[in-house]
Amino acid sequence: MDIQDNLNKLTKKERRAMRKTEKIDEQKQRQRKRLLKRIALWVVVITGIAAAVFIMFKLVDDYSPGQLSDNSISDSDWVKGDRGAKVVLIEYSDFQCPACANYALITKQVVHEFGDKIAFVYRHFPLKQNHLNAESAAWVAEAAGKQNKFWEMHDMLFENQKEWENSGNAEEYFKEYAQALNLNIEQFEKDINSEEVKNKVENDFQSGLRSGINSTPTFFLNGEKLRNPKSYDEFRDIINQALR
Amino acid sequence: MTNLETSLTKHFDKRLVAAFLILSFIGFLDAAYLASAHYAGLSVKCFINGCEAVLTSQYAAIAGIPVALLGAIYYLIIFIFIIAYLDFKKEFFMNFAVRLAIVGFIVSLLLMSIQIFIIKALCLYCFVSFIIFTILFVSGLFILNKNK
Repeated sequence: MDIQDNLNKLTKKERRAMRKTEKIDEQKQRQRKRLLKRIALWVVVITGIAAAVFIMFKLVDDYSPGQLSDNSISDSDWVKGDRGAKVVLIEYSDFQCPACANYALITKQVVHEFGDKIAFVYRHFPLKQNHLNAESAAWVAEAAGKQNKFWEMHDMLFENQKEWENSGNAEEYFKEYAQALNLNIEQFEKDINSEEVKNKVENDFQSGLRSGINSTPTFFLNGEKLRNPKSYDEFRDIINQALR
Repeated sequence: MTNLETSLTKHFDKRLVAAFLILSFIGFLDAAYLASAHYAGLSVKCFINGCEAVLTSQYAAIAGIPVALLGAIYYLIIFIFIIAYLDFKKEFFMNFAVRLAIVGFIVSLLLMSIQIFIIKALCLYCFVSFIIFTILFVSGLFILNKNK
């Protein structure tokens, strides 16, 4: 009898012990599951954020390779440097676009450094639907160009962009600039509204459309669309490579 | 995620927490888009006139840091706090997120006033951000009220 009792007791103890270890195991498993879930949560969150940032950058950077429909410099183009240079940099720009104003400073440096080694061409691409005064500013620059002051007016418009960009009477500012450049005002005002000037701007715009431009500034180096350089140094490197 | 959401504590309304989570992430995307446009030096795709006027104004950056970037970081902090709440189930995280949203709403309101009365132009993305903060603000008030 005693032996039998002992056996029973043992098995009871054993069973209890077994149940206990089972419980601990279960608890451990549950804890592990919870930990895994938490790790998964944070991994999902962090990769989600990283993916979102990446997508935002992709959305903004809408560069797509492209080629200029016609890479030749025409007689009516405004050119700095040497028209016959091996490297031709063509910019499609809008006097009212803030990024264009920033790039105007960079291209000025480019022209200054490379001089006659390159030809720098400015073409109009006024984004009329967003920029109230962009097209008339282009006419103003062309009209100044008729008195051989295109680049002077180009600089003036970009430097003072903040002043006239959203002004209801930008014409007043334009007239001031013309006066500052010692232009013949009567002629200047006549030229602004001339068919010739308007056609020139429209032709530039149409040539931009043909080359698939949809934003400004857009640069073409020897006919190839550039991904807009982020700094002057980057710009210089790209041109140096083309000169090689 | 769904498991965590369903096992939320009783303290906060599940729907309000979900709204906070989703809205703060949308706000983050909105602001991150503007911030990346700033650093890429490219113009944003704007559906109404005025983005450029606002984003290139003197009010678009504080000490050289674009407001959009500050906004993105701010939204991200709110978002992380809500995730932390879902994970640790500590009321503190949610309460903090709600308070951040209330401050964010006030700042956003200030920025909207600057746009309307000083710059006199409206930037679509900033407006979206303002709407988000307004909803966060209202849901935040509900959360605080119910939790009293």
